[in-house]
Amino acid sequence: MRAHGAGAEDPVSTEMVHAIIDDIGALLLFTMILIVAAGQVYRAIYAVAAQSLLIAIAGGVLAAATGNIDLWVIAGITLVVKAIVLPSVLHWVVRRMNVRREVEPVIPIAATLALAVVIVVMSFHLSASLGTVRQAITGNALPVGIALTLTGVLVMATRMTALTQMVGLFASENGIFFTAMAVTQGMPLIIEIGVILDVILAALVMTIMVLRVRSTVDADIADLDRLRG
Amino acid sequence: MSSPPDPAILLTGTILMASCYGAGALTLVLARWSGRLAIAAGHVAALAGAVAGLGVSLGVLLGDQGRTLTLPLPVLFPFARLSLSMDGLSAYFLLVISLVAIAAALYGPAYLRAHSPDAGRARQAAQVLALNVFLGCMSFLCCAGDALTFLLCWEGMTLASYVLVVSDDRDGENARAGHLYMVMAHGGTALLFIAFFALTERAGAFDFAALRAAAGGLDATTRTALFFLALGGFATKAGVVPLHVWLPRAHPAAPSHVSALMSGVMLKVAIYGILRFAFDLLAPVTGPLPPSWGWTVLVLGTTSAVVGVLYALQQHDLKRLLAFHSVENVGIILIGVGLAMVLCRREAAGVALATLALTAALLHTLNHAAFKGLLFLGAGSVLCRTHVRNMEELGGLARRMPWTTGLFLLGAVAISALPPLNGFVSEWLTFQALLGGAGHFHGPAGLAIVLSAAMLALTGGLAAACFAKAFGVTFFGRPRTSHAEHATEAPASMIAGMVWLGALCVVLGVAPGYAVRLLDAPTAALLDGPGASAVVSIRGPLVLSAELALTGTGATAISMTVLTALLIALAALAWALRRGSSGVARREAPTWTCGMSPTERFDYTATAFAKPLRLVFAALYRPRREVTRETAGTPYVASRIHYYGEVVDVAETQVYHRVQRGITLLSRIIRLRSTGRIHGYIGFVLGALFVALLLFGVGR
Repeated sequence: MRAHGAGAEDPVSTEMVHAIIDDIGALLLFTMILIVAAGQVYRAIYAVAAQSLLIAIAGGVLAAATGNIDLWVIAGITLVVKAIVLPSVLHWVVRRMNVRREVEPVIPIAATLALAVVIVVMSFHLSASLGTVRQAITGNALPVGIALTLTGVLVMATRMTALTQMVGLFASENGIFFTAMAVTQGMPLIIEIGVILDVILAALVMTIMVLRVRSTVDADIADLDRLRG
Repeated sequence: MSSPPDPAILLTGTILMASCYGAGALTLVLARWSGRLAIAAGHVAALAGAVAGLGVSLGVLLGDQGRTLTLPLPVLFPFARLSLSMDGLSAYFLLVISLVAIAAALYGPAYLRAHSPDAGRARQAAQVLALNVFLGCMSFLCCAGDALTFLLCWEGMTLASYVLVVSDDRDGENARAGHLYMVMAHGGTALLFIAFFALTERAGAFDFAALRAAAGGLDATTRTALFFLALGGFATKAGVVPLHVWLPRAHPAAPSHVSALMSGVMLKVAIYGILRFAFDLLAPVTGPLPPSWGWTVLVLGTTSAVVGVLYALQQHDLKRLLAFHSVENVGIILIGVGLAMVLCRREAAGVALATLALTAALLHTLNHAAFKGLLFLGAGSVLCRTHVRNMEELGGLARRMPWTTGLFLLGAVAISALPPLNGFVSEWLTFQALLGGAGHFHGPAGLAIVLSAAMLALTGGLAAACFAKAFGVTFFGRPRTSHAEHATEAPASMIAGMVWLGALCVVLGVAPGYAVRLLDAPTAALLDGPGASAVVSIRGPLVLSAELALTGTGATAISMTVLTALLIALAALAWALRRGSSGVARREAPTWTCGMSPTERFDYTATAFAKPLRLVFAALYRPRREVTRETAGTPYVASRIHYYGEVVDVAETQVYHRVQRGITLLSRIIRLRSTGRIHGYIGFVLGALFVALLLFGVGR
């Protein structure tokens, strides 16, 4: 049932998968830059939706290459949940709140971009020394995955409002997902589903928090720091 | 000796003991209908369990020597097989636990009814549950055959005693005492976890046989490090100075029969742990134990004995005074243990001396359990009739509570190491071991042992002074408050519990040779030498002797039975002489008090009694006192004088308060630095992750 390598009967050749995953990785990094550079919340949401779509495509490619049925299921769930449902929810929340549509960065966006570059470079540097983890089919998935994860956290750290922090969380989540999918060629289905459920739950809790805090005390999550003891 | 009992009977007894304690714990459900019923049923179950434990331990001790009774337990965890294994040492400590538990179970119900008649049912249920869990965990801890059972029982014992400490009164002091107890106990438990898991990791299994085998392959440094970790853990529980600060707060806070169990028994469980680790689990395969072990224990024991009794002298809270005496007595036990560790596994003379020292320590374990239990129960009787613990507010109880007075006096004589009671026997044996050890070693080591003997002598004298104060101020004179004036004798079941322990004190004092026979199995197993009776009661069970085969040292011997007979004869003679010479008419008259009518304020108070020693040891006590005079118009007429005096615990102020200040400062700094901004925290995590990846990720 699990991956049995790139056999002769596979519909797609190993080199081709390799190239496709690398291309998708480059596109993922590009969407990540879009998220970091986005000046408005809408743009960041669209970028993260695109990113999730790319992840779903990568899952489909890997599924075709390895013949792993689980990967098809995961790709499908990713497409529905992360590329369609969660961005719509975010979009709906932004419309519901109706104010502060622009991203409020803690440090200037240019500086955040510079930090993101540092992270990407370091990820490649790191994974170069982790040679044994790479597998034939993976290509450059590992450094891209690490870079996505860390940059997602960077977005969470450098944005004031809860909404953009949610976008960062999803991007970071995508990075973890991509790494897991490409490096292990599909984790057990139950784990992947568990991870997706986690994200849904986090989105639910954060949405409720944002809306409730907004409607009861007319403040953003970021203002809660005044509550410290 | 009779034929050894069948192992099957002993195993049945063990299961019976477990089920009694278990049933006792479950009687808490009865509290839904009647708290009184729950308490009575729970204590009856505890009594049955203790009697079963007594039978099992006697069966093992008097049965085949060197036989180990094992009982596999049902599998609870997939990774470890739990088992009980009872050898001589386990059985001896089970005996100690069961003897005091019998007294506590007899005493408990009436005490709880009299002390807190308006207790809610929830509290009564909690007390029944905790008491049985406490007793069961202590009993099975001593019989544990693997590390996991040991640690589970250890933790159960701590938690159950915590519940009992905080359950007695609903005031802040109990809660604070319980909190301190919890923190200290878990600090100690953490050390034990490290020591045990370091061994189990090497062994790949949890049972003691595997741990023993794994410890055989340790290098000397690791072995010593593990021993000191375990010693730290056990010493915290045993209340060894300077880890004793929780003890004088937590022990008095519990109900009195639980105080008796905590002081008399729970501390001994820690002694059991030290013995088990030093002589059994961690001992090198061949050759003597590392010298640093024994000397450390000896020094700790000597310090605890002296410091414990010095602080006890300045306490005016009856139960707290007794708790400090527990620190002292644990010190005396550890002197014997340390000496045995220094001397064991050497040539024959050394082994004989080590046997003598270990016999003294183990006998003192039993003796201390008996007399400290008795004293705590006596203090509990006073407390439940007067609701006062401060002895300055008591006085004159001798006429009002004659039984309690007599039994408390018995305990006081025993703890002051006066013949013919049991405290004298074990301290005499400790002295013999110390003096023999001083003759055995020459040079500085011998001198150190002599110094330890001198400190032990000082301890004995100070303990006698302390109990002269405690007994005199509490029971003699006139009642100082109305609480003491209206006291009545305690109920019969409480007296019964005390009589049981008092009888034990007398029997162990008058015929100690029979108790020494019980020590054959543990001493022979731990020291690979002759058993205790071969060294101590070689001339028959009625004579104690220290036959040490040392050059230039004659054997010393004492017969407690003859000594008792002599004392009784002397007392009878004195009484007869007094009767005979009373030809002159006796006249009774009030005490002459310079023409004033005598009041209770004329009596010697505890503070005044302890004043000379407070001055002598001022460097240790750092006494503080404030006297304020309220004058009525003219400075020559004082209408009122307030006196406030206090001594501090040096360990508490010098060590613990500093640690506390450090922690407070640190947390204040952390609080200043924490902004409460989420993105700041996330950024911090990201940065830390980044640095960690750079440091450890690259170059592998």
